[in-house]
Amino acid sequence: MPVNWRVQFVGLIFILLATAMTARVVFLHIIDRDFLQGQGDARTNRIEKVHAHRGMMMDRKGRPLAISTPVVSIWVDPRQLDLQPATLAAIAGALGISAVDLNNKLEQSNSRKFISLLRRIPPAQAEPIMGLGIRGIYFEREYQRFYPAGEVAAHVVGFTDIKDKGQEGLELSFDQWLQGKPGEKKVVKNLYGEVVRDIKPIREAVAGKSLTLTIDLRLQYLAYRELKSAVNFYQAESGSVIILDVETGAILSLVNQPSYNPNNRKGLQLGHVRNRAITDVFEPGSTVKPFTVAVALESGDYQITSTIDTNPGFIRVGGKTIPDPRNLGVIDLGSVIAKSSQVGITKLALSLNEYDIWNMFSAVGYGQSLESGFPGESSGYLPNRRRWRDIERATFAYGYGLQVTPLQLAASYQVIASGGIKNDISMVRSEVGRGQRVISATTAANLKHMLVRVVTEGTGKRAAIDEYSVAGKTGTVRKVGKNGYEDTHHLAFFAGMAPAERPRLVGVVLINDPKGEQYGGGAIAAPLFSRIMSEALRLLSVPPRQYNEAA
Amino acid sequence: MTMAIKNWMAESKGYPLDVMISVVLVFLLSLGFIMVGSASTDISARIYGDPLYLFLRHSVYMVISFAAAGLVLSVPVDAWKKTDWLWLLVSFALLIAVLVPGIGRTVNGATRWISLGFMTLQGSEFVKLFAVVYISGHLVRRRADIDESISGFIRPLVLISVLVLLLLEQPDFGASVVILASVMGVIFLAGVPFRHFIPVISVFIVATLVIAQWQPYRLDRFASFTDPWTHQFNEGYQLTQALIAFGRGEWLGMGLGNSIQKLFYLPEAHTDFLFSILAEELGAIVAAAVIIAFAVLVLRGLVIGRRALDAGLEFHGYLAFGIALLLGIQSAINIGVNIGLLPTKGLTLPFVSYGGNSLIVSCIVVSILLRIEYEVRASNIEPTSRQKVDA
Repeated sequence: MPVNWRVQFVGLIFILLATAMTARVVFLHIIDRDFLQGQGDARTNRIEKVHAHRGMMMDRKGRPLAISTPVVSIWVDPRQLDLQPATLAAIAGALGISAVDLNNKLEQSNSRKFISLLRRIPPAQAEPIMGLGIRGIYFEREYQRFYPAGEVAAHVVGFTDIKDKGQEGLELSFDQWLQGKPGEKKVVKNLYGEVVRDIKPIREAVAGKSLTLTIDLRLQYLAYRELKSAVNFYQAESGSVIILDVETGAILSLVNQPSYNPNNRKGLQLGHVRNRAITDVFEPGSTVKPFTVAVALESGDYQITSTIDTNPGFIRVGGKTIPDPRNLGVIDLGSVIAKSSQVGITKLALSLNEYDIWNMFSAVGYGQSLESGFPGESSGYLPNRRRWRDIERATFAYGYGLQVTPLQLAASYQVIASGGIKNDISMVRSEVGRGQRVISATTAANLKHMLVRVVTEGTGKRAAIDEYSVAGKTGTVRKVGKNGYEDTHHLAFFAGMAPAERPRLVGVVLINDPKGEQYGGGAIAAPLFSRIMSEALRLLSVPPRQYNEAA
Repeated sequence: MTMAIKNWMAESKGYPLDVMISVVLVFLLSLGFIMVGSASTDISARIYGDPLYLFLRHSVYMVISFAAAGLVLSVPVDAWKKTDWLWLLVSFALLIAVLVPGIGRTVNGATRWISLGFMTLQGSEFVKLFAVVYISGHLVRRRADIDESISGFIRPLVLISVLVLLLLEQPDFGASVVILASVMGVIFLAGVPFRHFIPVISVFIVATLVIAQWQPYRLDRFASFTDPWTHQFNEGYQLTQALIAFGRGEWLGMGLGNSIQKLFYLPEAHTDFLFSILAEELGAIVAAAVIIAFAVLVLRGLVIGRRALDAGLEFHGYLAFGIALLLGIQSAINIGVNIGLLPTKGLTLPFVSYGGNSLIVSCIVVSILLRIEYEVRASNIEPTSRQKVDA
């Protein structure tokens, strides 16, 4: 017969077991919970990035130049994806590709954890796929940069990379300003990395600040259109146009050819990205002659009426012959500029203090950084010699042996246009600074009158505009090749201002290596200047000449 | 006879079935039903594309279990007594069949299942019951032999050992432990002289060591449970995830449906480790209540067995002991594994975990216990009523 104590003994064992287990359960739940919850959170809680909206870039009137739009990227984890034909067909249908292509894509890379199916598509396009609710497909909401002005403003605005970081142009130099601070949120993920629920935001995403540029998109379009057609027509290698506001030094338009489409950078050539107006340097040639004359006028040794004898149409300096196109005879200073006389400038230069021309060039900005804020801005090159040989003094005075950027050239003409005051060149509206006098008002006025004669009677006749008076200077520079200066490759410049009476705009036009019979600044750059400036002045509602005369 | 039932009804306060067991069953079954629903939805959605897939299957198993339980309740305990050796043969048939290539289905390295089309049959679950039925019958039939000689004591154990060896061949270590322990427990409770146990216990100890040597992955599992956190990326992974579930639960739980561990972090969340998810979602109090419920069930089974023996119903008594031990040992191992007191075993929590075989067998087993209790009560009442009739 059974023994009663045996049943009691077994019962007691189970009571003790139950007690021990209850104690253990309570221990785990209550005493050990901080450790266990910490271990659990370390496995399940993740910090997710919340993309921040990047600041908008606008022209001076608030027209958009760079906008961040919400987009969705679609990823797939092939290890989780159930490759049923029906599923494949559903995804392919929503993606708008064939199921076979999709299958190939997935099979080619089925060893990888994530495959990008579609990057940065509009949310409306992603919704059909999101609606399918297929496991193994992930969506990331982010922002994509869109550039409404496309290639027209590409060099100014620049672009961002896939991570929304500025890579070129103002996108790069103002990256800190434009970029927001990405936020973070704590989420619970399941073992497969899918977000199950949001716990709390750790840091809200802070949107980037918007940036208003000094660019006027209307002038930008205008300059771009004209430059592109001119560069195409002359089959030139490249070209640049800059328009400055005289009063503030603000850049109203800055365009280059060739350009690129910042919205689709497939097959992008590096050369097209370069903002040549700011990064590339050229010998400015005749366009610096007004500043040599300025030195003469400021020296007190010369008056506007002073004359120079350019007979017999050439001059020998240090064994080299410097010719004029023809013998201009005895001419006044204005004619030296208007006819762009090498002989006249050479004689003038050799009569002046050997360091004064350098000082003037430096004062108007050559060899100096403009601090435009553009990435890759070049300061140009202004050789500072202890001793100047005569030939060096002469060639320097008519624009060889130094290098400037087109923007520096524009900045120096802005000094003449503003009556001798050098303004900081700016690209961003809030950055307008105060100017600094570098040439006396009288000298500046005299230079301006001489530059008017360039257009009315000299090399720059084709820069003239019917309704407005124009002052400016042509330049034709032989390019430097492997074997020194080349006879067949030129740069054609025109730098000028309008209306001449009270200049509102300064413009610089540069055509690099035009092909054809004509290659000079007066023949190629001047007419382009005329077309752009006449339209620009009208767009800005600048009163035409007739109105001024009537008043 | 009608008088008998009336008196019996009066004695049991109007309930035809044992109140204590019924309450525990309703608690465990409904809790299990809810928790399987909660723990299986994400797994169902991921594997079967329908979040209710496993829950609906479990519901069907519930219905089948209740039908089986009703059927078993109506079978007199003597029917089991008369056929005990038959069930041993069925056990052998099941365990051999599953090892025949083409019949047995292998999941996670264990060949435990025979496909029946709509569901799979896990023979080892039924063998647990059949082994206990057999040993109870054998104890009644050959009690004298067993008490007399050690060979009489060993003979039934040899048969059980062959069953266990077949189970280890699957392998199903958990079921082996449950069966061996329950059978030994029944023999012990039956009052077999203590000296017979000494050689058997010695053999068990040696066998355990041999098995550990023979299948070293069990040693790894053993090492992992004593210090899961240093093995958390391999053997200890499942246990650390289970322990985290308890830590998250605190007193009142994260709320039904709010488990994080069931989001694939804890493997077998709806089956062997459902207790952890239950603790995570419903907290320490409900988890403790489950432990207490099982303790009540076991103690009640022991009491019923004791009363049966007192009433002279030997087979009833041994079978009640066996059932109490089966349920008690299996639930203790399952909970012990969940809370890190025992090495990981593939054992479900009776009445609670997902799994058709486990649920059906648990319900059959407890129905037999209820039937035993009913018959014991009836046997106590009958003489009294007869006296009344005589008077």
